[in-house]
Amino acid sequence: MTPRRSVFKDESKLDINYVPRRLPHREEEHRLLMEFFNFLLRFPERMAQRVIITGDVGTGKTVLAQRFGTDITSEANKQGVNLRYIHVNCREYRGKLFLILQHALTAFRPTFPSRGYSAEEILRIFMQALDEDNAFVILTLDEFDTLIEKEGSEAVYTLTRLQEMRTGKPQRLSLISVMRDLKSTERLDASARSTLQRNVIRLERYLKDQLVDILNDRVAMAFEPSTVSEDVVDLVAELAVSESGNARFAIELLWRAGKYADAEDAGQVEPECVRKAVSSILPTLRRSELTALGRHEKLFLLSAARIFKESQKAYASLSEVEGAYAVVCEEYNETPKSHTQLWKYVQLLSALGILKTSVASTGAHGRSTRISLPAVPTVELERELSTLLEKERA
Amino acid sequence: MDVEEVFSSKPRMKILKLLSRLGAVNVSEIARRIGLNYSTTNQHLKLLEAEGILRQRVYGRIRMYKFNEASAKARAVQNLIEAWEQDK
Repeated sequence: MTPRRSVFKDESKLDINYVPRRLPHREEEHRLLMEFFNFLLRFPERMAQRVIITGDVGTGKTVLAQRFGTDITSEANKQGVNLRYIHVNCREYRGKLFLILQHALTAFRPTFPSRGYSAEEILRIFMQALDEDNAFVILTLDEFDTLIEKEGSEAVYTLTRLQEMRTGKPQRLSLISVMRDLKSTERLDASARSTLQRNVIRLERYLKDQLVDILNDRVAMAFEPSTVSEDVVDLVAELAVSESGNARFAIELLWRAGKYADAEDAGQVEPECVRKAVSSILPTLRRSELTALGRHEKLFLLSAARIFKESQKAYASLSEVEGAYAVVCEEYNETPKSHTQLWKYVQLLSALGILKTSVASTGAHGRSTRISLPAVPTVELERELSTLLEKERA
Repeated sequence: MDVEEVFSSKPRMKILKLLSRLGAVNVSEIARRIGLNYSTTNQHLKLLEAEGILRQRVYGRIRMYKFNEASAKARAVQNLIEAWEQDK
Protein backbone atom coordinates (compact mmCIF):
# COMPACT_ATOMS: atom_id res chain seq x y z
CA MET A 1 0.00 0.00 0.00
CA THR A 2 1.39 3.40 -0.92
CA PRO A 3 1.48 5.67 2.11
CA ARG A 4 -0.48 8.90 1.84
CA ARG A 5 1.40 12.17 1.69
CA SER A 6 2.41 13.76 4.97
CA VAL A 7 0.13 16.48 6.31
CA PHE A 8 3.22 18.60 6.86
CA LYS A 9 4.59 20.96 4.29
CA ASP A 10 7.40 22.21 6.56
CA GLU A 11 7.29 21.05 10.15
CA SER A 12 10.32 23.18 11.11
CA LYS A 13 7.84 26.07 11.27
CA LEU A 14 6.44 24.42 14.40
CA ASP A 15 9.83 24.05 16.05
CA ILE A 16 10.24 25.71 19.42
CA ASN A 17 13.18 27.74 18.10
CA TYR A 18 11.48 28.99 14.95
CA VAL A 19 11.00 32.76 14.86
CA PRO A 20 8.17 33.76 12.50
CA ARG A 21 8.24 37.01 10.55
CA ARG A 22 4.94 38.10 12.02
CA LEU A 23 3.98 37.86 15.68
CA PRO A 24 0.20 38.13 15.91
CA HIS A 25 -0.98 40.09 18.97
CA ARG A 26 2.51 41.18 19.89
CA GLU A 27 2.73 43.97 17.32
CA GLU A 28 2.30 46.68 19.93
CA GLU A 29 5.06 45.30 22.16
CA HIS A 30 7.33 44.94 19.11
CA ARG A 31 6.67 48.59 18.22
CA LEU A 32 7.39 49.60 21.79
CA LEU A 33 10.75 47.81 21.72
CA MET A 34 11.56 49.58 18.45
CA GLU A 35 10.70 52.88 20.17
CA PHE A 36 12.93 52.10 23.14
CA PHE A 37 15.88 51.26 20.90
CA ASN A 38 15.25 53.80 18.16
CA PHE A 39 18.29 55.82 19.24
CA LEU A 40 20.54 52.98 18.05
CA LEU A 41 19.61 53.84 14.49
CA ARG A 42 20.27 57.56 14.87
CA PHE A 43 22.98 58.19 17.46
CA PRO A 44 24.09 54.78 18.73
CA GLU A 45 27.11 55.98 20.70
CA ARG A 46 25.21 58.36 22.93
CA MET A 47 23.14 56.02 25.02
CA ALA A 48 22.44 52.45 26.04
CA GLN A 49 19.05 51.04 26.88
CA ARG A 50 17.73 48.54 29.42
CA VAL A 51 14.39 46.83 29.01
CA ILE A 52 12.73 44.04 30.94
CA ILE A 53 10.24 41.70 29.24
CA THR A 54 8.04 39.69 31.60
CA GLY A 55 5.19 37.26 31.11
CA ASP A 56 4.06 33.73 31.89
CA VAL A 57 5.25 30.63 30.05
CA GLY A 58 4.22 30.66 26.40
CA THR A 59 3.34 34.35 26.21
CA GLY A 60 5.95 34.97 23.52
CA LYS A 61 8.75 36.66 25.51
CA THR A 62 11.62 34.87 23.82
CA VAL A 63 10.21 34.99 20.32
CA LEU A 64 9.38 38.69 20.70
CA ALA A 65 12.94 39.49 21.75
CA GLN A 66 14.38 37.41 18.91
CA ARG A 67 12.08 38.89 16.26
CA PHE A 68 12.89 42.36 17.47
CA GLY A 69 16.62 41.52 17.50
CA THR A 70 16.56 40.38 13.88
CA ASP A 71 14.51 43.38 12.76
CA ILE A 72 16.51 46.09 14.47
CA THR A 73 19.80 44.52 13.41
CA SER A 74 18.80 44.51 9.77
CA GLU A 75 17.51 48.09 10.03
CA ALA A 76 20.73 49.25 11.73
CA ASN A 77 22.96 47.46 9.23
CA LYS A 78 21.07 49.12 6.38
CA GLN A 79 21.99 52.44 7.96
CA GLY A 80 25.63 51.47 8.33
CA VAL A 81 25.51 50.86 12.11
CA ASN A 82 27.43 47.76 13.16
CA LEU A 83 24.78 46.39 15.54
CA ARG A 84 24.67 42.78 16.73
CA TYR A 85 21.88 41.09 18.64
CA ILE A 86 23.00 38.36 21.03
CA HIS A 87 20.42 36.15 22.75
CA VAL A 88 21.64 34.12 25.72
CA ASN A 89 19.61 31.79 27.87
CA CYS A 90 21.10 32.28 31.34
CA ARG A 91 19.95 28.84 32.45
CA GLU A 92 22.00 27.20 29.70
CA TYR A 93 25.04 28.94 31.15
CA ARG A 94 24.12 27.91 34.71
CA GLY A 95 23.37 31.53 35.61
CA LYS A 96 27.09 32.38 35.63
CA LEU A 97 27.85 35.85 34.33
CA PHE A 98 31.36 34.97 33.16
CA LEU A 99 30.03 32.11 31.01
CA ILE A 100 27.31 34.33 29.57
CA LEU A 101 29.80 37.06 28.71
CA GLN A 102 32.24 34.55 27.31
CA HIS A 103 29.53 33.37 24.95
CA ALA A 104 28.82 36.97 23.92
CA LEU A 105 32.53 37.56 23.35
CA THR A 106 32.80 34.60 20.95
CA ALA A 107 30.47 36.46 18.58
CA PHE A 108 33.31 38.95 18.11
CA ARG A 109 36.45 36.99 19.00
CA PRO A 110 35.61 33.35 18.26
CA THR A 111 39.07 32.04 19.16
CA PHE A 112 39.41 33.86 22.47
CA PRO A 113 40.64 31.43 25.15
CA SER A 114 37.78 30.34 27.33
CA ARG A 115 39.34 29.80 30.72
CA GLY A 116 40.67 31.73 33.64
CA TYR A 117 38.80 35.03 33.57
CA SER A 118 36.51 36.77 35.97
CA ALA A 119 33.25 38.23 34.69
CA GLU A 120 34.68 41.75 35.08
CA GLU A 121 37.75 40.89 33.01
CA ILE A 122 35.67 39.35 30.24
CA LEU A 123 33.33 42.31 30.23
CA ARG A 124 36.30 44.66 29.87
CA ILE A 125 37.70 42.55 27.02
CA PHE A 126 34.27 42.37 25.41
CA MET A 127 33.97 46.17 25.49
CA GLN A 128 37.48 46.51 24.07
CA ALA A 129 36.51 44.22 21.18
CA LEU A 130 33.38 46.34 20.57
CA ASP A 131 35.49 49.51 20.58
CA GLU A 132 37.94 47.97 18.12
CA ASP A 133 35.16 46.86 15.77
CA ASN A 134 33.07 50.00 16.37
CA ALA A 135 30.20 47.64 17.17
CA PHE A 136 27.06 47.93 19.29
CA VAL A 137 25.30 45.07 21.00
CA ILE A 138 21.84 44.34 22.30
CA LEU A 139 22.38 41.51 24.75
CA THR A 140 19.24 39.62 25.71
CA LEU A 141 19.48 37.69 28.94
CA ASP A 142 16.69 35.13 28.77
CA GLU A 143 15.64 33.42 32.01
CA PHE A 144 17.32 36.32 33.77
CA ASP A 145 16.01 35.00 37.11
CA THR A 146 18.68 32.29 36.96
CA LEU A 147 21.42 34.93 36.82
CA ILE A 148 19.92 36.80 39.78
CA GLU A 149 19.57 33.58 41.71
CA LYS A 150 23.18 32.54 41.11
CA GLU A 151 25.03 35.80 41.19
CA GLY A 152 22.73 38.32 42.85
CA SER A 153 23.10 42.07 42.80
CA GLU A 154 26.76 42.20 41.93
CA ALA A 155 26.34 40.72 38.46
CA VAL A 156 23.44 43.04 37.66
CA TYR A 157 25.42 45.96 38.98
CA THR A 158 28.46 45.01 36.88
CA LEU A 159 26.35 44.93 33.75
CA THR A 160 24.25 48.01 34.33
CA ARG A 161 26.88 50.38 35.72
CA LEU A 162 29.39 49.45 33.07
CA GLN A 163 29.44 52.84 31.43
CA GLU A 164 30.53 54.55 34.63
CA MET A 165 33.90 52.80 34.23
CA ARG A 166 34.08 54.03 30.65
CA THR A 167 33.43 57.71 30.96
CA GLY A 168 34.01 59.56 27.73
CA LYS A 169 33.80 56.37 25.66
CA PRO A 170 30.86 55.45 23.42
CA GLN A 171 27.99 53.48 24.94
CA ARG A 172 27.92 50.12 23.25
CA LEU A 173 25.99 47.59 25.31
CA SER A 174 22.20 47.59 25.73
CA LEU A 175 20.35 44.95 27.71
CA ILE A 176 17.03 43.14 27.45
CA SER A 177 16.22 40.99 30.46
CA VAL A 178 13.57 38.33 29.99
CA MET A 179 11.86 36.74 32.99
CA ARG A 180 8.50 35.40 34.10
CA ASP A 181 7.81 38.09 36.66
CA LEU A 182 9.57 40.80 38.57
CA LYS A 183 9.51 38.90 41.85
CA SER A 184 13.09 37.71 41.48
CA THR A 185 14.31 41.30 41.16
CA GLU A 186 13.16 41.81 44.76
CA ARG A 187 16.26 39.85 45.77
CA LEU A 188 18.45 42.59 44.34
CA ASP A 189 19.61 45.47 46.43
CA ALA A 190 17.95 48.81 45.79
CA SER A 191 20.73 50.28 43.66
CA ALA A 192 21.01 47.26 41.37
CA ARG A 193 17.22 47.18 41.02
CA SER A 194 16.97 50.83 40.17
CA THR A 195 19.55 50.55 37.39
CA LEU A 196 17.60 47.71 35.87
CA GLN A 197 13.96 48.60 36.02
CA ARG A 198 13.54 51.46 33.63
CA ASN A 199 11.28 50.02 30.99
CA VAL A 200 9.14 46.99 31.63
CA ILE A 201 7.09 45.28 28.95
CA ARG A 202 4.55 42.90 30.41
CA LEU A 203 3.13 40.26 28.07
CA GLU A 204 -0.35 39.15 29.05
CA ARG A 205 -1.57 35.59 28.58
CA TYR A 206 -3.06 34.93 25.15
CA LEU A 207 -6.83 34.71 24.86
CA LYS A 208 -8.48 32.02 22.80
CA ASP A 209 -9.07 34.14 19.69
CA GLN A 210 -5.48 35.29 19.79
CA LEU A 211 -4.27 31.70 19.98
CA VAL A 212 -6.48 30.88 16.99
CA ASP A 213 -4.73 33.63 14.99
CA ILE A 214 -1.28 32.37 16.01
CA LEU A 215 -2.21 28.79 15.13
CA ASN A 216 -3.70 29.79 11.78
CA ASP A 217 -0.44 31.48 10.85
CA ARG A 218 1.55 28.38 11.74
CA VAL A 219 -0.91 26.08 9.98
CA ALA A 220 -0.47 28.05 6.75
CA MET A 221 3.31 27.77 7.02
CA ALA A 222 3.69 24.23 8.29
CA PHE A 223 0.82 22.17 6.85
CA GLU A 224 -0.36 21.21 3.40
CA PRO A 225 -3.55 23.04 2.34
CA SER A 226 -6.83 21.66 3.70
CA THR A 227 -5.20 19.26 6.14
CA VAL A 228 -6.11 21.19 9.29
CA SER A 229 -9.71 22.28 9.73
CA GLU A 230 -11.00 25.30 11.65
CA ASP A 231 -12.45 22.94 14.23
CA VAL A 232 -9.07 21.41 14.89
CA VAL A 233 -7.45 24.83 15.31
CA ASP A 234 -10.27 25.78 17.65
CA LEU A 235 -9.83 22.64 19.72
CA VAL A 236 -6.09 23.19 20.05
CA ALA A 237 -6.63 26.82 21.05
CA GLU A 238 -9.23 25.75 23.62
CA LEU A 239 -6.82 23.29 25.17
CA ALA A 240 -4.05 25.90 25.24
CA VAL A 241 -6.32 28.39 26.99
CA SER A 242 -6.78 25.87 29.77
CA GLU A 243 -2.98 25.74 29.89
CA SER A 244 -2.90 29.46 30.83
CA GLY A 245 -2.93 30.70 27.25
CA ASN A 246 0.37 29.03 26.52
CA ALA A 247 1.15 29.47 22.80
CA ARG A 248 4.18 27.22 22.99
CA PHE A 249 1.94 24.43 24.27
CA ALA A 250 -0.57 25.11 21.46
CA ILE A 251 2.10 24.90 18.75
CA GLU A 252 3.65 21.77 20.22
CA LEU A 253 0.22 20.19 20.45
CA LEU A 254 -0.52 21.03 16.83
CA TRP A 255 2.78 19.45 15.76
CA ARG A 256 2.08 16.28 17.75
CA ALA A 257 -1.43 16.05 16.33
CA GLY A 258 0.13 16.24 12.85
CA LYS A 259 2.49 13.44 13.79
CA TYR A 260 -0.44 11.28 14.90
CA ALA A 261 -2.21 12.05 11.62
CA ASP A 262 0.87 10.93 9.67
CA ALA A 263 1.36 7.83 11.79
CA GLU A 264 -2.21 6.80 11.06
CA ASP A 265 -1.98 7.77 7.42
CA ALA A 266 -5.06 9.92 7.95
CA GLY A 267 -4.25 12.50 5.30
CA GLN A 268 -5.55 15.26 7.55
CA VAL A 269 -5.36 16.25 11.20
CA GLU A 270 -8.55 15.07 12.84
CA PRO A 271 -9.84 16.06 16.29
CA GLU A 272 -9.02 12.54 17.49
CA CYS A 273 -5.35 13.19 16.59
CA VAL A 274 -5.45 16.25 18.86
CA ARG A 275 -6.96 14.21 21.68
CA LYS A 276 -4.27 11.58 21.32
CA ALA A 277 -1.61 14.27 21.19
CA VAL A 278 -2.86 15.96 24.33
CA SER A 279 -2.86 12.74 26.29
CA SER A 280 0.68 12.07 25.13
CA ILE A 281 2.01 15.39 26.39
CA LEU A 282 2.90 15.60 30.02
CA PRO A 283 0.25 18.12 31.05
CA THR A 284 2.32 20.67 32.88
CA LEU A 285 5.65 19.66 31.58
CA ARG A 286 7.43 20.10 28.28
CA ARG A 287 10.33 17.88 27.41
CA SER A 288 12.47 20.97 26.83
CA GLU A 289 11.93 22.00 30.44
CA LEU A 290 12.99 18.59 31.70
CA THR A 291 16.06 18.58 29.49
CA ALA A 292 17.09 21.97 30.85
CA LEU A 293 17.16 20.70 34.43
CA GLY A 294 20.54 19.97 36.02
CA ARG A 295 21.54 16.37 36.72
CA HIS A 296 20.71 16.47 40.42
CA GLU A 297 17.48 18.37 39.78
CA LYS A 298 16.51 15.49 37.49
CA LEU A 299 17.59 12.91 40.09
CA PHE A 300 15.56 14.69 42.76
CA LEU A 301 12.48 14.89 40.54
CA LEU A 302 12.87 11.23 39.64
CA SER A 303 12.85 10.42 43.38
CA ALA A 304 9.62 12.39 43.81
CA ALA A 305 8.05 10.62 40.82
CA ARG A 306 8.94 7.24 42.29
CA ILE A 307 7.60 8.10 45.74
CA PHE A 308 4.24 9.13 44.31
CA LYS A 309 4.12 6.22 41.89
CA GLU A 310 4.76 3.66 44.57
CA SER A 311 2.83 5.14 47.47
CA GLN A 312 -0.37 6.31 45.72
CA LYS A 313 -0.25 9.21 48.17
CA ALA A 314 -1.04 12.75 47.17
CA TYR A 315 1.59 14.33 49.40
CA ALA A 316 5.04 13.50 50.65
CA SER A 317 7.35 15.27 53.07
CA LEU A 318 10.71 16.61 51.95
CA SER A 319 12.49 14.08 54.15
CA GLU A 320 10.62 11.20 52.45
CA VAL A 321 11.71 12.46 49.04
CA GLU A 322 15.19 13.03 50.40
CA GLY A 323 15.34 9.37 51.42
CA ALA A 324 14.28 8.25 47.94
CA TYR A 325 16.77 10.68 46.41
CA ALA A 326 19.65 9.06 48.33
CA VAL A 327 18.68 5.70 46.79
CA VAL A 328 18.40 7.19 43.29
CA CYS A 329 21.84 8.81 43.70
CA GLU A 330 23.26 5.42 44.63
CA GLU A 331 21.65 3.92 41.55
CA TYR A 332 23.20 6.59 39.30
CA ASN A 333 26.50 6.57 41.15
CA GLU A 334 26.24 10.18 42.30
CA THR A 335 27.01 11.79 45.65
CA PRO A 336 23.79 13.18 47.13
CA LYS A 337 23.56 16.94 47.53
CA SER A 338 22.91 18.56 50.89
CA HIS A 339 19.51 19.20 52.44
CA THR A 340 19.82 22.94 51.73
CA GLN A 341 20.54 22.22 48.08
CA LEU A 342 17.50 19.93 47.86
CA TRP A 343 15.37 22.68 49.30
CA LYS A 344 16.54 24.89 46.46
CA TYR A 345 15.55 22.18 43.97
CA VAL A 346 12.06 22.08 45.52
CA GLN A 347 11.77 25.84 45.09
CA LEU A 348 12.96 25.67 41.48
CA LEU A 349 10.70 22.78 40.53
CA SER A 350 7.71 24.47 42.11
CA ALA A 351 8.56 27.72 40.31
CA LEU A 352 8.50 25.69 37.08
CA GLY A 353 5.06 24.38 38.07
CA ILE A 354 6.20 20.75 38.22
CA LEU A 355 6.02 20.27 41.97
CA LYS A 356 3.71 22.00 44.40
CA THR A 357 4.56 22.79 47.98
CA SER A 358 2.33 23.51 50.93
CA VAL A 359 3.00 23.95 54.62
CA ALA A 360 1.55 21.33 56.95
CA SER A 361 1.24 21.71 60.67
CA THR A 362 2.72 18.77 62.53
CA GLY A 363 1.60 19.65 66.05
CA ALA A 364 4.39 19.70 68.60
CA HIS A 365 7.09 19.52 65.95
CA GLY A 366 6.01 22.73 64.29
CA ARG A 367 5.52 23.07 60.56
CA SER A 368 6.82 21.00 57.68
CA THR A 369 6.69 21.25 53.93
CA ARG A 370 4.51 18.90 51.94
CA ILE A 371 5.34 18.21 48.34
CA SER A 372 2.89 17.10 45.68
CA LEU A 373 3.03 16.33 41.97
CA PRO A 374 -0.45 17.45 40.98
CA ALA A 375 -0.71 17.26 37.23
CA VAL A 376 2.10 15.13 35.88
CA PRO A 377 1.56 11.39 35.41
CA THR A 378 4.29 9.77 37.48
CA VAL A 379 4.87 6.85 35.10
CA GLU A 380 5.53 9.14 32.17
CA LEU A 381 7.64 11.49 34.24
CA GLU A 382 9.74 8.60 35.53
CA ARG A 383 10.18 7.26 32.01
CA GLU A 384 11.16 10.65 30.57
CA LEU A 385 13.64 11.37 33.36
CA SER A 386 15.19 7.91 33.23
CA THR A 387 15.71 8.25 29.47
CA LEU A 388 17.32 11.66 29.87
CA LEU A 389 19.56 10.50 32.71
CA GLU A 390 20.63 7.43 30.76
CA LYS A 391 21.45 9.61 27.75
CA GLU A 392 23.59 11.86 29.96
CA ARG A 393 25.37 8.84 31.36
CA ALA A 394 26.11 7.56 27.84
CA MET B 1 65.02 40.36 6.97
CA ASP B 2 65.05 38.76 3.54
CA VAL B 3 62.05 36.92 2.24
CA GLU B 4 63.86 33.57 2.14
CA GLU B 5 64.74 33.91 5.81
CA VAL B 6 61.14 34.57 6.79
CA PHE B 7 59.79 31.68 4.75
CA SER B 8 62.57 29.19 5.46
CA SER B 9 61.24 28.42 8.92
CA LYS B 10 58.70 25.61 9.26
CA PRO B 11 57.25 26.93 12.56
CA ARG B 12 56.75 30.37 11.00
CA MET B 13 54.95 28.87 8.04
CA LYS B 14 52.81 26.84 10.43
CA ILE B 15 51.94 30.01 12.36
CA LEU B 16 50.99 31.84 9.18
CA LYS B 17 48.85 28.94 8.00
CA LEU B 18 47.12 28.73 11.37
CA LEU B 19 46.32 32.44 11.53
CA SER B 20 45.17 32.43 7.93
CA ARG B 21 42.65 29.76 8.88
CA LEU B 22 41.55 31.01 12.33
CA GLY B 23 41.97 34.79 12.33
CA ALA B 24 43.11 35.99 15.74
CA VAL B 25 44.68 33.46 18.14
CA ASN B 26 46.43 33.88 21.49
CA VAL B 27 50.08 32.96 21.98
CA SER B 28 49.71 29.83 24.12
CA GLU B 29 47.05 28.45 21.78
CA ILE B 30 49.35 29.05 18.79
CA ALA B 31 52.16 27.26 20.67
CA ARG B 32 49.87 24.34 21.49
CA ARG B 33 48.62 23.99 17.93
CA ILE B 34 52.02 24.10 16.26
CA GLY B 35 53.59 21.89 18.93
CA LEU B 36 56.31 24.26 20.14
CA ASN B 37 56.98 25.78 23.54
CA TYR B 38 55.72 29.22 24.48
CA SER B 39 59.05 31.00 24.35
CA THR B 40 60.08 29.73 20.89
CA THR B 41 56.62 30.48 19.52
CA ASN B 42 56.85 33.96 20.99
CA GLN B 43 60.16 34.59 19.24
CA HIS B 44 58.72 33.59 15.86
CA LEU B 45 55.68 35.78 16.46
CA LYS B 46 57.82 38.77 17.39
CA LEU B 47 59.83 38.32 14.22
CA LEU B 48 56.72 38.15 12.04
CA GLU B 49 55.40 41.22 13.84
CA ALA B 50 58.65 43.08 13.27
CA GLU B 51 58.34 42.27 9.56
CA GLY B 52 54.87 43.86 9.62
CA ILE B 53 53.15 40.63 8.61
CA LEU B 54 51.37 40.11 11.94
CA ARG B 55 50.07 42.46 14.56
CA GLN B 56 49.09 41.84 18.14
CA ARG B 57 46.25 43.03 20.32
CA VAL B 58 46.41 42.92 24.09
CA TYR B 59 43.26 41.94 25.99
CA GLY B 60 44.04 42.07 29.70
CA ARG B 61 46.51 39.25 30.26
CA ILE B 62 46.10 37.86 26.75
CA ARG B 63 47.96 38.71 23.57
CA MET B 64 46.28 37.71 20.34
CA TYR B 65 48.05 37.71 16.99
CA LYS B 66 46.48 38.16 13.57
CA PHE B 67 47.50 39.23 10.09
CA ASN B 68 48.19 42.93 9.81
CA GLU B 69 45.49 43.95 7.33
CA ALA B 70 47.18 47.28 6.75
CA SER B 71 50.33 45.67 5.33
CA ALA B 72 50.67 44.75 1.64
CA LYS B 73 53.19 42.05 2.61
CA ALA B 74 50.67 40.47 5.01
CA ARG B 75 47.93 40.46 2.35
CA ALA B 76 50.30 38.88 -0.16
CA VAL B 77 51.32 36.14 2.29
CA GLN B 78 47.70 35.47 3.15
CA ASN B 79 46.77 35.22 -0.54
CA LEU B 80 49.65 32.85 -1.15
CA ILE B 81 48.59 30.55 1.70
CA GLU B 82 44.93 30.62 0.70
CA ALA B 83 45.75 29.79 -2.93
CA TRP B 84 48.06 27.02 -1.80
CA GLU B 85 45.51 25.51 0.59
CA GLN B 86 42.67 25.70 -1.95
CA ASP B 87 44.73 23.83 -4.48
CA LYS B 88 45.32 20.88 -2.12
